[in-house]
This record gives sequence, structure tokens and C-alpha cells, in this order.
Amino acid sequence: MGLLASERLKLVRSPIWLLVLVSPILALTAGFLSSLDDVAPEARYLILQSSVFTVHAILLLPILTGIFASFVCRFEHSGGGWKSMLSLPVSRTGLYAAKFITVALLLAVTQLLTLVSLIISVKFQGIEGGMDWGAAISATVSGWVACLPLAALQLWASIGWSSFAAPLAINVAFTLPNMLVVNSERFSPFYPWAQPSLAMLSSGGGSMDFGGFTLPLVNILGTVLVSFVVFLCGGLMHMRRKEI
Amino acid sequence: MKEWVIETSALSKRYKGRYAVSNLNLKIGKGEIYGFLGPNGAGKTTTIRMLLGLIKPSSGAIQLFGQPLHKHKLSILRKVGSLVEYPSYYGHLSATDNLEAIRRIIDAPKERIGEVLRIVGLSKEAKRPVKGFSLGMKQRLGIAGALLGNPELLILDEPTNGLDPAGILEIRELIKSMPREFGITVLISSHLLSEVELMANKVGIIRQGELVFQDTLESLQQQARGSISLRVSEAERAMVLLDGIGVDSSLAGELLQLDSTDDAVVSKAVKELVMAGHAVYRAEERRKSLEELFLRIVGEGQG
Ligand SMILES: Nc1ncnc2c1ncn2[C@@H]1O[C@H](COP(=O)(O)OP(=O)(O)O)[C@@H](O)[C@H]1O
Ligand SMILES: [Mg+2]
Repeated sequence: MGLLASERLKLVRSPIWLLVLVSPILALTAGFLSSLDDVAPEARYLILQSSVFTVHAILLLPILTGIFASFVCRFEHSGGGWKSMLSLPVSRTGLYAAKFITVALLLAVTQLLTLVSLIISVKFQGIEGGMDWGAAISATVSGWVACLPLAALQLWASIGWSSFAAPLAINVAFTLPNMLVVNSERFSPFYPWAQPSLAMLSSGGGSMDFGGFTLPLVNILGTVLVSFVVFLCGGLMHMRRKEI
Repeated sequence: MKEWVIETSALSKRYKGRYAVSNLNLKIGKGEIYGFLGPNGAGKTTTIRMLLGLIKPSSGAIQLFGQPLHKHKLSILRKVGSLVEYPSYYGHLSATDNLEAIRRIIDAPKERIGEVLRIVGLSKEAKRPVKGFSLGMKQRLGIAGALLGNPELLILDEPTNGLDPAGILEIRELIKSMPREFGITVLISSHLLSEVELMANKVGIIRQGELVFQDTLESLQQQARGSISLRVSEAERAMVLLDGIGVDSSLAGELLQLDSTDDAVVSKAVKELVMAGHAVYRAEERRKSLEELFLRIVGEGQG
């Protein structure tokens, strides 16, 4: 617990909070700008939800996941921080867990704010019947869950690489092809960078009725769970063996 | 039996077939300030990283406070404060918050932050972001962090590296006060003897991964003390004569060398020689400085 509190303190006065805001603000903009005039009233809600979430889920969420993972290791990479951290009476597993939980919490805050953007957009567009809470919460939570394997993978890379920028560059390079990858329903569920978008946009009935988005959410979450376990164990093992 | 705070047996670390540390038997007693000396690349930092459990030894054993490190790592580290190579800090946080980040992990009382800042003389700068600190201030903040958990053992790796003479003096005074005021055992590494000789009471010298000297500072000073050379008319007979009156000496070419530089011994030897009819042409002292001795010790076996 002390470890988590310590991680929190390091983040309090850092620019990470601006980054947390970026995606929700863009989502809000997308929500305000979508034009729903040509859409049948009963389909409007789902169309709006997917236009609020699309850029966030396909592009920004995976990139932010990488940034958060690099960011929580940034302080340790610069100036021998791993050494001073691990000279304290802390277990490596505990430190790894604290880092991972911090990333997961940052992602949760991002998801929550994006949900708020959706709520505001629904109000702004004056959707009849208002929010479809079931669809909104399911998308937000599954999107978050589907980020966790990528978070574990990026954390593994960040710990292993002793560099802030390298894992980030790789992450962006693997995120950009998402637009293409999601078209393949066979390949996309296994692509960690595409998993958040599949989980978050697969709710059916929206405009996303192609490629990986047609897969049932349960299948995607199954793949997510397996890759999560693999990446988490890999990162943890690396952390435990790492020569500091 | 003496109680060792740090004891290593045959401690070795191999990197790609090359030994960075080899067969090290460190023994550091309670309340000592142990100066761990050696030129750059000798293996000081590697040893310290092993002592803190940051890397695993290739072979050999480490006992801290009489317990094997790998079995009781967390409970042992609770009693150790350390600063390895250079201080790490969170530049965007103030000195107080930097210490708070450590305090939350080791669960020290909140008041302790103010105390350690006072000990290292940073109370006035407590609220400033650390990125504006000078190297010396960062170093002192690092030491403050090491002291936060009220450690029984303080391990400092080259804490005066990159400091100006005034900064070095400050750190030295700080370290000297540790055993006296807080009963802390200190291991401090350095590549400069001059830096350590004014505070350490025990010295270990490491060269190319091997411990080549380990004893009290006095014993090192003893070795460094000079000898008296006498030029006399008949050196060999003079030596026999001195042997008869209990003064140890040896021949060095034409010269007779007295092992002792004690005034009484020298005057007695000269008097006896003169009375026995020897001509004493010259008596001179040959002095090795501690630094020369150190350089000779670490220089041996090189190139
Ligand atoms: N991770 C590593 N891989 C390979 N060699 C290393 C590693 N760490 C240290 N060494 C080597 O071990 C030797 C001792 O280094 P070090 O302990 O840092 O010396 P010191 O602290 O006394 O200056 C050096 O020759 C160094 O090159
Ligand atoms: Mg070193």
C-alpha cells in the first residue's frame, strides 16, 4: 500500500494529468460535431456512442496505455531510480504490482472521463431516451479490461528497456496499423493494440459492423485474458531477474 | 567473538567470464566507519550492489547483521540506508516530497523527514523543487533519504564524487558524526584515500575485484611510516652490533635501514655505533606517504 501511495505522490505534480484529459476532450469534440440528422431516431444513440469512442478506442487509448506504462517507469529510469527503489525494503513483485495498478488506475480515469464526454454529448445532441447505460458502461469497462494486456506488455518493455522513449515509439508504430488490423476478424483479436478497440466498439448495432468488430465480446475478452496473463507473468519474471 | 554487521565469504561476481569481484571476504564491525577503497573499475559498486541485493552474486555468501541476505532480504534492508553511485530524485518534487515518496514505502514517522533534513542541513531548501538543487545538495538529499528509516547500517557509494572541496568537507563531517551520534555503522567507498583517511577507522582496499588489504587505518599508517637509513663505515658489522642491543635493522646496499623511526631507538643506535668506533656519515628518514602506499598497493600486478 505504501508503494501505491508513493507512486501516487510522484504523479501528483506531473503533466500526466494533461494527457489523461486529451482523449476525453477529443471524444467530446467528436460527440459535438457528429451530425445525426440523417439517422433514424432509434439508431441515434449507438451511432453517437461509436463516434464518440472510435478515435479514442482505435488510436488514443492504446497510445495512452504505452505512455502511462513508460511514464510510471520514467522516474526510475532517470538517474538510477531503480537502484534506490529496490534498495528499500520492497519486494520486486510488490513494486511491479504497484506500477501496474497505477497504470490501470490512470486508464480507468481516462475511461471514466471518456464516458463523461459521452454523457455530455448525449445531452448536447438531445438524444431521445437519453443514455443507454448498459451499452455505455459495457463498452467503457470492456475497453478498460482490454487495455490491460497491452499495459502489461508495455510495462514489460518499459522495465526491460531502461529508456523512456523507445517503448513509446514501438507502441505508436504498432498502434497506427490498427485501422487495417481491425478489418481482419481472424488476426485482430490477437493483436494487443487492437484489443481495446474491438472490446470497446463491438457492441453491435452501431456503425462498426465489419472485421473484428463483428466478433462476440466474450471471445475477445477470452483472448484478452490469456494475453494478459502471459504478458503480466513475462514482465514480472523479467522484473524479478533484472540486474539493477 | 566480534559481531560483524557485514560479512562476505568468497563473494564473487562474474560478467561474461570476467570477474568484476572475486573471492571477497569483507568484515565490517559494528560502529565502524569502513573505507572501501579502490581505483575506478575495481569492483566497489558491484560489491555494494550485491550487498543490497540489487544483483545476485555468481558465488559466495553475504551475511548482514549475522543473517544470510538472500533469505531475509526485506527485514535486513529495513535496517540499511544506502546511496549507490549518484542520488536519484524526482526533480519536479520538493525535497520534502522526495523524502515523503520514500517515507510512504518504509513507513517511517512523518516527523522524521524534518529531522533528516536538519541533519543534512537542507531545512531551508525543503520546499524547493529538487531540479534546481546543486550536486552537493542532491547528494545531501540522497543521504537524508538513506537516513530516513533510522538505519543501523549506512552504505554510501562514492558520496563525494563530483563535489567541490567544501561539499566534500560537509559530507565528511556528516559521516563522521554517524557512529558517534546515532550508533550507525558506515560503509563508504571511494577511489581516493585522502577522502577516506580522515573519517574511516577501518580500510579495505580492492584492486581488480580482489581485496588486497583489510585492516585498521592505523595499521595502514604503520605500513606507510618511513624508515631511517644510516650510512656507516662498515654496514655489516654495524648490523650485528645493533642486533646485539635489540635494534632491528636490515641492509639495503651500502645503507643500513632501521625499521623503527622512534626517536629513542634512533638516538640509541647512533650512540652505540659511534661508541663502538663506527663512523656514521649520514642518517636520513625515508618517508612513504599513505597515498604512495595506497597507489603502490593498487598499482601492484598491473601492466
Ligand atoms: N553489468 C555489467 N556488465 C559487464 N561488466 C560490468 C557490469 N557492471 C560492472 N562491470 C565491470 O565490473 C568492473 C567493476 O565495476 P564497478 O563495480 O562499477 O567498479 P567501481 O565501482 O569500483 O568503479 C568494471 O570493470 C566494469 O566494467
Ligand atoms: Mg563505482
